[in-house]
Amino acid sequence: MPAEGGDNLNRAILSFESVTKRFGDFTAVHELSFAVQEGGVFGFLGGNGAGKTTSLRMALDILRPSEGRIEVLGRIPSRENAAEIGFLPEERGLYRNMKVLDTVVYFGRLKGMEPGAARKSALELLERFGLADRTKSPVGKLSKGMAQKVQLATALVNSPRLLLLDEPFSGLDPVNQTILEDAITDAARNASTVVFSTHVMQHAERLCDRLLLLAQGRKVFDGTKDEARAALPSRLTLTSRLDPASLPSVSEARLVWSHDDGWAEYQVELRPGSEPGELLETCTQQGFALRSFDITRPTLHEVFIHFVGAEQEIVR
Amino acid sequence: MRDVLLVALREFRQIVATRGFWVMLLIVPLAIGVSVLVSSRFAPSPSVAYVLVDESGRLESRLEQRLERDYQRQVLRELATYVERWQLGAVDPAAPWAQRGSWLVEPELSRFVDQGGAEAALQRLRPSIPAEAPEFELPERLYHRFSPPAELATTEDPEAFGEAITPLMKEEIETASGKMPLALAIYIPENFGASAAAARVWTNGRFNSGLLNVVQDELTKELQLGVLQASGVGSETATQVQSLAAPIIITEPAAGEERGFFATRSVIPVALMYLLMITAITTGSMMLQGLIEERSNKLLESVLACIHPSALMNGKLLGLGGVGLGIILVWAGCAVAAALSSSGAIADALRMSIEALDQPWMWGAMIFYFLAGYLILSTIFLGIGALSDSMQDAQSYLGPVLLIFMLPLIVMMQASLRDPNSTVTQVLSWIPIYTPFAMLTRLGSGVSLAELIGTTVLVVLFIAAQLIVLGRLFQASVLNAGKPSLRDIIAMMKARAT
Repeated sequence: MPAEGGDNLNRAILSFESVTKRFGDFTAVHELSFAVQEGGVFGFLGGNGAGKTTSLRMALDILRPSEGRIEVLGRIPSRENAAEIGFLPEERGLYRNMKVLDTVVYFGRLKGMEPGAARKSALELLERFGLADRTKSPVGKLSKGMAQKVQLATALVNSPRLLLLDEPFSGLDPVNQTILEDAITDAARNASTVVFSTHVMQHAERLCDRLLLLAQGRKVFDGTKDEARAALPSRLTLTSRLDPASLPSVSEARLVWSHDDGWAEYQVELRPGSEPGELLETCTQQGFALRSFDITRPTLHEVFIHFVGAEQEIVR
Repeated sequence: MRDVLLVALREFRQIVATRGFWVMLLIVPLAIGVSVLVSSRFAPSPSVAYVLVDESGRLESRLEQRLERDYQRQVLRELATYVERWQLGAVDPAAPWAQRGSWLVEPELSRFVDQGGAEAALQRLRPSIPAEAPEFELPERLYHRFSPPAELATTEDPEAFGEAITPLMKEEIETASGKMPLALAIYIPENFGASAAAARVWTNGRFNSGLLNVVQDELTKELQLGVLQASGVGSETATQVQSLAAPIIITEPAAGEERGFFATRSVIPVALMYLLMITAITTGSMMLQGLIEERSNKLLESVLACIHPSALMNGKLLGLGGVGLGIILVWAGCAVAAALSSSGAIADALRMSIEALDQPWMWGAMIFYFLAGYLILSTIFLGIGALSDSMQDAQSYLGPVLLIFMLPLIVMMQASLRDPNSTVTQVLSWIPIYTPFAMLTRLGSGVSLAELIGTTVLVVLFIAAQLIVLGRLFQASVLNAGKPSLRDIIAMMKARAT
């Protein structure tokens, strides 16, 4: 697990330093430290009640930490930062009687934009999301998918440097999930740093550069996807005539099935620090006959289970 | 401040865009207009008919003379009011119609009648009546004698007369002055005054005490006359005794002075108090509904990511304040326009009420107490909204709160009908949530400078405390789900930051 140092925190667009948040006797976030560097997509992963939403609310100054220090865009959290932040909350809603364009412009204005700039940006976003012909419709008359696009537009209207998305995919159908994934990718490409929380590992696999795993308010992992996968040994499946358990880097070999002709498939676990390539090289050098040699990298789901435990609610 | 104004503008627009707002805005002027129209055009006439069968021959002329004199008294009173309103007293300052209270003084009334009554008076006044003044209209006669069919009038049996006349009393009858209800039927037996010989009266069920009192009064006088004559008093002397009335000279303050002035000066502040109550509760309910919608729609978090909860709260208060003031301005504008465009008694009363508020501080105090009352009530509604997930939740808070709020005010309103400075009103002036209402009620009848300053300071401090507490409540509760307990609410009010 990579350690973050003081320099790391200083350059970060979002940083938590020993942050604790208590609600009465309940500790929602415990001694949380991490830093998000500018650019890319950062995933906040954890089951329900892991402290993801509380952490995001603290970053937005909706909640104040009980202890510790938070910096957003190099400043302490406050509404002064709103002009450079886009936020999509987990539980979404809009003013039902307000017109689509007015809604997006209103949020732009709340973030400090001038009326003209807010309107221009809102129209561009609505065009991009296929809502150009619905600008004058009341939000209450839109379908759920359309309303969610409007909500996303309210988060993006100010072209934020930091885009915070709290469980952005919850409640979206596959088509709208794809649209949102594209929007996140676009935002990251257009110099926004995207931080999103999720308990759906599939999205994290596809979108995130770096991950923070939370369990019951505590950090259990912070690093890149590759670093996360490296925390678990790769799974190796090979087909051979002989039992591979005797090979030097193998800690355990389990027979999966065997053929009448003498070939058998084994699931192999390597000793810590050993690489599958080394084993393949050893097999070649020793004349250990192989018919297949498949390496399976651990999924983020498996990494999550490894760190957090199977009892946490997550979705593959 | 920019955030506050943005929220205020959105709140204002949202409410103004609702159908409910327009219904509320128009319904009051419309209701007043319709009621004025209905009462002026379609109100039933106060006139009633009566039947008199006087077998004794002793009451008929006496009753007719009395009713005529009462009518002339009514004419003199209305003519004197007309003369005063249009400042025509200078035409003849000594005339009975030039004095406001002359209709109460018998010799003055006699002088008015002897001088030719209203017709003669109007002939003298007409050259001096200003062009904008409406024509003086003689008041409607209240009692019209109805001559029953001959077969009824000649009966000697009161029971038979009663049975015959009763069907006529169920519906309106046609008289020389038009259709009207037959309110009273009076039967005077031939031997009236003898032992057990009582006059009989039938009514149509709607008790007409005015006419009945006159009948009884005149019958009593007739009996008294009989007793006087039997005691050896001459007929002329007995009549003189009966017509005796104690001479009195009535001195009243001029219009717009003393007690009358206080009453006149209280009209606008008291009306404002009632309007404050109606608008604050109505718009407060709208705000409550809006806030609950925001909470249940889960959109507050998006807003609170951009602006501070206090900005949201203050913006809501400001927006709703704008809606309330807008409603008041429209209602007041309609009332003034309607009153000034007509030349009736309402217009006169309103004009006098405005003129009576001749000191600028009164207008300032009225506006201050109105805004303060509006803010106090709106803040309470907003606090309830911040704690409620649904209208059902809100109702459970709203019921007790409105009860605590309204009960003392209802007692105060009743007490202030008798005396605007009643003890209840004075006590409520120093309880901040009631102060604006109590002070508006008392403003016209005179309050001391110390009370004005004291209650102003009290209200300002109370509102400041209310906003601080509401701010804490708002910040702590708007993102929470579920109904908090009383202990939670108190903890939220005490908490400085979340």
